[in-house]
Amino acid sequence: MGVSGWFKFKGRSLFSWAFTFQRLTGVVLLIYLLAHLTYLSSLLDKTGATYESMIAITVSRQFLVFDILLVLCGVFHGVNGFRIILHEFGIAYEYRKPLLVIFTVIAVVVWLYASYVMYSLVGG
Amino acid sequence: MVRFKIRRYDGEKSYWQSFEVPAKKGMTVLEALYYIKENYESSLAFRASCRMGICGSCAMKINDRPRLACETQVLTLGDTVKVEPLDNFKVIKDLITEFDGFFEKHKAVKPYLIRKDDNYAEPKELLQTPEELNEYYIFTLCIKCGACYSVCPAAATLDEYLGPAAMTAAYRFCADSRDEGQKERYEIASSPNGVWRCHLAMECSEVCPKNVEPAKAVQLLRRKTAFSILKSLLGW
Repeated sequence: MGVSGWFKFKGRSLFSWAFTFQRLTGVVLLIYLLAHLTYLSSLLDKTGATYESMIAITVSRQFLVFDILLVLCGVFHGVNGFRIILHEFGIAYEYRKPLLVIFTVIAVVVWLYASYVMYSLVGG
Repeated sequence: MVRFKIRRYDGEKSYWQSFEVPAKKGMTVLEALYYIKENYESSLAFRASCRMGICGSCAMKINDRPRLACETQVLTLGDTVKVEPLDNFKVIKDLITEFDGFFEKHKAVKPYLIRKDDNYAEPKELLQTPEELNEYYIFTLCIKCGACYSVCPAAATLDEYLGPAAMTAAYRFCADSRDEGQKERYEIASSPNGVWRCHLAMECSEVCPKNVEPAKAVQLLRRKTAFSILKSLLGW
């Protein structure tokens, strides 16, 4: 079936959604990390002007939506990853359903708060 | 009347075929399939045996979810029932899927008691406390229907992956106080196609018709395998 097997949701539970979202956010974070490190390690300008000009773009209002989505990826991947690690150590397996809901709510609340802070910082 | 929409496969092409079945209270999907076979389409192929949820032969996708046809009541499924073969398995004909690989994987984990003192001439009784039995009892209930394997995203991307059912069988024997073959099974479980391939989607536990909790067994086997590797690295 291949990778399309990750995107089968019909008749599946919320765990499949969590799995797929974990995979997708992981891929996004990996691409972001590679781009981030490639950019930083290729800076030759010792004055820091190039870096500052790039940062000025990334903290602009136009760029805010990408930042918010990136934070969503980071927060969900981290919080959901912690839930998975717990279960992988055999902890709280019997409470997997309530834990999935609790951890998802935590991820959404943290993301919304972070989005609000970022929105405030760019003068919203 | 309930409309049955069945995904058929003739060896070359896959297509949908619909049938009207006079459903009555207590009728299972398996009975409906027999009704279709006897009254409409004698070439319809499906696998079934015990008709009582014990043999695991009749697992198929019913309304998008893997279930045992013999245990699924038609009247609980609505006016239209969609029946398809299991995912992650090669389809042979209609609803029949290839299970050779699945059973090979099961065999590969040595699903039997391994003892150093095997003596068939003078067999001895191996005692066990109820607590020791409870350590693995739930995992003995697996009927090898393949429902767990069919929803596993790791199995979807890697044919060689041992899968939840085989690893549940491996853990069932590793957790058995009478068994002495843990080391052999940990080596198999720690192979590239073993426990580390599980990404804990946990869908296997959701669809298991016997509530065996394969995802839990895989994690427990993973923990035991990790400790076994750690012990061997430290020379304990």
